[in-house]
Amino acid sequence: MLSYEHDDTIAHRLDPRSKLAVQIAFAAAALSHTSGRALVALTAITALFLTVAGVSILRTLSAYRFALVIIAIAPLVSAATLGPPWIDVADGLESARAGYRVVLVLLVSAAYVRSTRIRDSRAAVQRTIPGKPGQLLGVGIALVFRFFPVLQADVRRIRQASAARLGTERGAIDRASHIGLLGLTRAFDRADRLSLALRARCFAWNPTLPRLSFTRLDAPAFAVAVALGAGTFL
Amino acid sequence: MATEHGAVEPVRDEIVRQFARAALLAALIGAVAPVSIPIPFSPAPITLQVLFVFLAGLVLGPVWGTVSLTLYLAAGAVGIPVFAGFSAGPGVLFGRSGGYLWAYPVAAGLIGLLVHRGTDLRAPADVSLPVLVGALVAGTAVIYGMGSGYMAWLLDMTVVEALMVGAVPFVPVELLKLVAAIAIVKSGRLQPVGT
Repeated sequence: MLSYEHDDTIAHRLDPRSKLAVQIAFAAAALSHTSGRALVALTAITALFLTVAGVSILRTLSAYRFALVIIAIAPLVSAATLGPPWIDVADGLESARAGYRVVLVLLVSAAYVRSTRIRDSRAAVQRTIPGKPGQLLGVGIALVFRFFPVLQADVRRIRQASAARLGTERGAIDRASHIGLLGLTRAFDRADRLSLALRARCFAWNPTLPRLSFTRLDAPAFAVAVALGAGTFL
Repeated sequence: MATEHGAVEPVRDEIVRQFARAALLAALIGAVAPVSIPIPFSPAPITLQVLFVFLAGLVLGPVWGTVSLTLYLAAGAVGIPVFAGFSAGPGVLFGRSGGYLWAYPVAAGLIGLLVHRGTDLRAPADVSLPVLVGALVAGTAVIYGMGSGYMAWLLDMTVVEALMVGAVPFVPVELLKLVAAIAIVKSGRLQPVGT
């Protein structure tokens, strides 16, 4: 599983905002080109980012294996044609090249995930998006992070209890609505208790955030983001 | 450490309740990602994420349903492993399933709008069956339309090819989720805030 890992790489020392800028610019540049030369350049940039963030390629690919299956199937479906010649290699290759850049985008985003703490991302979101939407998004991300494992345990308990009572023998709709209803009522019970606690602590639109600061290291990162962004229009 | 020195501006009670529900629903969608229920004669098992997209629109309404799914996308983008297969990262939003993911908040908003006819929520158990079915079918169409459309563009496939890979195997299963979602709201055990 991909997650933040404590380390001291250059990527770890960058401000999350410059890393997000690089991510978005890279995705934009990758999604606007499929030529062979562009893919070679994008591969080189990806390799650089992965090295800078200390990412293991194999572990990352295995974390994204679900996405990779469809990316691998797409060229086969594209190449298959109804009627002679049955297999259109050029069509399949075009789709394979398009799929390859998606793999690069996923790899680069692993560099962000590995090198950025959730609370830093949250602060970056909250500082970059102005006003109440930014506040809600920032606090919301923090709450999702906090409650994700709690609700995972809830869902696990619901499924185990249901299996112990032969719930696995029931029809698919029955099972789906059982997990859906119980999962949601429990989550909403928690939400209502949480909102009471938030109100008791004067939940406000203007709380104090962790400090973020750009350093000299961020200048080259922003330069890369701008260059990649410009590359989108080449 | 830099602190805010202005007057504290508390968030209104009703907004806090809806917001807490939206955030926990977003976390729940991530938590149910690994749950899959096999069904006979179908290559695709039932996964519960889309069921909760339906429920977000039905129970939280157009505004907070959209907020909830936006939070889900933001949480996944910054690295919380809430996407299918415990994946995360900004790249997933641009990847193969990006179109489906971006469609979630749109679908939840659309379902909420059709069911609640505005931003004032009403109990979904009291809404007539044709309206519920129509709203959920529209939401499903948005999710698979945007999902397959984006996949066709991204992987350089024709729309028909993308639909064969990204929609046809899953749509029959969506009908089962639609029935499950309606059974859940008709049970009357989920009350929207303010009803």
